[in-house]
Amino acid sequence: MTTPTWDQPGGPLPSDEFLAASGAIMANIEQVIEGKSATVRLALAVLLAEGHLLIEDVPGVGKTKLAKALARSIDCSVRRIQFTPDLLPSDVTGVSVYNQETRDFEFKPGAVFANLVVGDEINRASPKTQSALLECMEERQVTVDGTTYELQAPFMVIATQNPIEMEGTYPLPEAQRDRFTARIAMGYPDPRAEMAMLNGHGAHDPLNDLRAVADAALVRRLIATARDVHAAEAVQQYAIALVTATREAPEIRLGASPRSTLQLIRTAKAVAALEGRDYVLPDDLQTLAVPVLAHRIIPTADAQLNRRTTDAIVAEIVHRLPLPHDRNRSPYDTRAVGDTRGQYESRGR
Amino acid sequence: MTGRRRLGLVAAAATLLAAAPLSAIFETWTWLMQCILAVGLVAGAAVLTRTLRFPTWAQALGMVVVLLLTLTWMFPSGEELLSLIPSPATFEHFGALFSDAGNDTRSYGVPVPDREGLLFVAVLGIGAVAVAVDLLTVVARRPALAGLPMLAIYSVPVAVYVDSVPVLPFIVGATGFLWLLVADNVDRVRRFGRRFTGDGRDVDVWEPSPLAAAGRRLAVIGVATAVLLPLIVPGLNTGLLNSLTQVGSGTGAGGPGSGGSGRINLFASLSGQLNQAQVTNYVRVTTTEPDPFYLRFGVADVLTSDGFSNRAPNGRPLSQGLGDPRQSAASAEAQYRQYRAEVEITNDFGQSLAPVYATTIDTDGLDGAWSYDPNTQVVYSNRTTTKGKKYSFDYLRAKYTPAELRTAPALARDNPLRTQFTTVPDDAKVDKLVGDLTRSEDTEYDKIMAIYRYFSRDNGFSYSLQTADPKAGASAITAFLAGKAGYCQQYAAAMAWMVRKAGIPARVAFGFTRGSTRDGNAYILTNRNAHAWTEAYLDGFGWVPFDATPAAAVVGSTRSDWAPDTDAVEAPSPTSSASLAPGANPSAAPGAANRPDRDLNAGGLDANDPANRSGSSTRALLTVAIIALVLALLAVPALRRILVRRRRHAATAPKVTAVAAATGPAPPGSRDIVVTTEAVRAREDAHAAWDELVDTMVDYRVPVDPTETPRHTAQRLVREADLTDGPAESAALLGRAEERARYARQPLQGGELTVALQQVRKGLAKTATRRTRLTAIVLPPSVMLRWRMGAGDVSARWMSGLSRGRDLLVRFSPRRLLAGRAR
Repeated sequence: MTTPTWDQPGGPLPSDEFLAASGAIMANIEQVIEGKSATVRLALAVLLAEGHLLIEDVPGVGKTKLAKALARSIDCSVRRIQFTPDLLPSDVTGVSVYNQETRDFEFKPGAVFANLVVGDEINRASPKTQSALLECMEERQVTVDGTTYELQAPFMVIATQNPIEMEGTYPLPEAQRDRFTARIAMGYPDPRAEMAMLNGHGAHDPLNDLRAVADAALVRRLIATARDVHAAEAVQQYAIALVTATREAPEIRLGASPRSTLQLIRTAKAVAALEGRDYVLPDDLQTLAVPVLAHRIIPTADAQLNRRTTDAIVAEIVHRLPLPHDRNRSPYDTRAVGDTRGQYESRGR
Repeated sequence: MTGRRRLGLVAAAATLLAAAPLSAIFETWTWLMQCILAVGLVAGAAVLTRTLRFPTWAQALGMVVVLLLTLTWMFPSGEELLSLIPSPATFEHFGALFSDAGNDTRSYGVPVPDREGLLFVAVLGIGAVAVAVDLLTVVARRPALAGLPMLAIYSVPVAVYVDSVPVLPFIVGATGFLWLLVADNVDRVRRFGRRFTGDGRDVDVWEPSPLAAAGRRLAVIGVATAVLLPLIVPGLNTGLLNSLTQVGSGTGAGGPGSGGSGRINLFASLSGQLNQAQVTNYVRVTTTEPDPFYLRFGVADVLTSDGFSNRAPNGRPLSQGLGDPRQSAASAEAQYRQYRAEVEITNDFGQSLAPVYATTIDTDGLDGAWSYDPNTQVVYSNRTTTKGKKYSFDYLRAKYTPAELRTAPALARDNPLRTQFTTVPDDAKVDKLVGDLTRSEDTEYDKIMAIYRYFSRDNGFSYSLQTADPKAGASAITAFLAGKAGYCQQYAAAMAWMVRKAGIPARVAFGFTRGSTRDGNAYILTNRNAHAWTEAYLDGFGWVPFDATPAAAVVGSTRSDWAPDTDAVEAPSPTSSASLAPGANPSAAPGAANRPDRDLNAGGLDANDPANRSGSSTRALLTVAIIALVLALLAVPALRRILVRRRRHAATAPKVTAVAAATGPAPPGSRDIVVTTEAVRAREDAHAAWDELVDTMVDYRVPVDPTETPRHTAQRLVREADLTDGPAESAALLGRAEERARYARQPLQGGELTVALQQVRKGLAKTATRRTRLTAIVLPPSVMLRWRMGAGDVSARWMSGLSRGRDLLVRFSPRRLLAGRAR
């Protein structure tokens, strides 16, 4: 294929150019999605971290609009799949059809053969169909009838889904959830943003006016820049500690996978780059822990009975876990955590 | 019921052990035999009544009846039925015994001989205690309360011995009490069931329960508190603290307050007082006599091979009068004049012998606790001390002339005075010396004077406190006669010995010299005025004092007409004029034969000079030193904090080569962590500054959260401490520097971290309460916390080490092996 490989995404950009390019994309999206800059930034970060995004929320808060706005802002191939209960795996991956002229089976690529794949209402399809995404999302390739087809770079799946409790939905399998780098919730807009939305969307859909501000090559260079961000050993330790804590927490039946550690660091790098830093901070990990980890873990039955959401559990872990230090220093950390917290902690998060 | 029966026997045995303190009171052990019998019978009655399952009241009654029968049998009046059943006459007899005992307690000093009244009271008391202990332990099952009657026994010697009580009997008694407690507890546990450890092994009865560890710890704390508290409370100043704060550098063998009853070693006490570095006022005496002689309180009249020693005084209460020597034929020859003196004793001088002038005929102000010993003419008490006493007395001053004294005849050989007071140990040298000295003398007085003059400087005698042997044994006296250097007690003892050898009764008297310091009409007597001299008995004149000690060496010494200073006629020696003892100021000692010609080895006194002069200032200095020490200790945390801060500031001080702070991501391609010297330095600086910031936060009670990132911490600091402008920016800068130092490839360089720290500190101080500010400076929580954690670590290590050791020991415990075999 002629598309650039994943290992050579292109040269990294200088800091100012990176910020300008990423800023333009974000500004573009925010023309459509008002008052959700953090969500937008996270969505972009997932793109730059070469991950996939799962947007989960109740109907009507702009999930699809965000996905489409992101897709439109980047001048690259975009496919949209509306997941329905009767959707088949071959609709996603593609199918070999018999060509009578060549007397041969000819591969008709499915919806995943694009830079950006918007999977709408992904949990309305049956798990069988959902599973069709497994290979392409992780390995960025599709194997049909024994033939493997490589996907283009960048490749990103942006899926939306309704909360699992909603009617007519199939919960995503764990393996599928684990492939999504981050799950974000849109949340309701604040009244001011909602007013702006009424004014803006009243006459026509601003989505239609959206013009691409970046192309695939630029995105590849942005990705390369994000990859270049420095994650110190202490930060890596912290990431490992966070993931390990989910595996050891008594409320959790299934903890986060090693893949999640990798994706946590990658996303953190992207976030750091978007903030104009060339190094990752534990702060980044703390902000990302819930979006990146929460959708992967399965709480115990007890925790579910207690109506403990995975978000809350991960947030508590973040709040509880002390920062690792490369130096053995003050008595306010290390083993004295219990004591000092009792003494010097007066606030709750 | 076997457990109960055994407990009853243990109670009886514990009672007997608790009676051990009485051994300090009686001379013989008769009381013990009788008490064992009585207690044994009482215990037997208890066992019997319990075996017959009598009700509780009957058990008590049975024991009381048996005690009564025992007493009746032991102390019969002769009118009992079958010599066991008490009759009314028996009770009358008991009443008589009681009053006897009352009289005996007044008239006898400890240790007392076997007086029937006292024995009766002892057996009755111990028997009653036995009944009480048995009832409390076996019937009421409250063995801890049984300690009270046991303690009551111990209070007897405490009441009798004023100052010090032998400690061994108390230990014996306490052991008995503990035994009782243990026996009761073991019985309880037995009745509760079997004990076994977690590994299924039976716990031996005597093995401590793991739960008992808390009890042991409590006991240690309790005992430590009980011992330490009196040291701290300023009112209780008779204890250890007081003796510690005494700056005594001398032997201190008989410091103030150590005078017990008649058992006090007067010699040791004297040398101790003379050797004290500190001058303490003891007595203030005012008298109508123009030129008084020595104040006197004690007599040593027993001369054995151990030297002179004093006996316990024995006499009658002061209220029965002291007798008048003018009416006594033994001393009627002398001329007497009557005077009146008033004595005030300070709190520093507490002993059971009251200082009075010789031949006191009437006292005023000493209560019934005081007695008079007519043999030694000593006023004493077995129950109280002279501490803080104020009293006055009338006394007679005898005026003898040598001519009169020469008329005194020699005592007959079988005169009890002569037989009693002329016993001497065998010593050929002394015998020969006395023989040489007195051979040519005719009268008793001349013999005494010949011996008296022998102690002059011409014969090489010199005064020295240093060569003193405080034990004053016979060997010390002979050593003094050979070495010819000593002080008053050697002079007095040696002369008394020699006078005795010459066949004249003699003894050593103790007291105070007239004193050199005057306060108006009063003489102030200090420990330096403590003195000893010789008294010889001359028939018709009584006990006549002779002071052989060189007058010049003794502060406030005085001489009598009949025994003039033997050294007084000598020409002044210019060599020793500079070595005046501090207290021996001639002008302050009227009538004292003080001259600058003493050939005394004044080293002992001179060495004490600085201490003497600074006696009171030493105490003040000590107080100041203690206060300074406390202040210094208080300042240690603050100092530590300042030192730490200084070290960190030194680290964060701005460098000369201020590199422009690199902002934003490094240029692409620089994928490696920067490890130039400056970068490493900048990282360390940032860490130091951050540590300092965290400590400052702790100091100002801003919470520190180990789960927080530097950025968060800085933001929260700004928010919670209401920092504005400068301090807020500084806090943000410190946070940024730290996070870059920790996580970035290239640290923040050129930041004014020290200034930033100062600003944050200032900002924190501005918004903090006054108390927080003060604490942050004086007792910085950061330092205290670190120390506390250090102490915690150490103690944890200790505890784990201890428990490991204990485990190891338990593994080899023979008890456990035995228990395993028994199972």
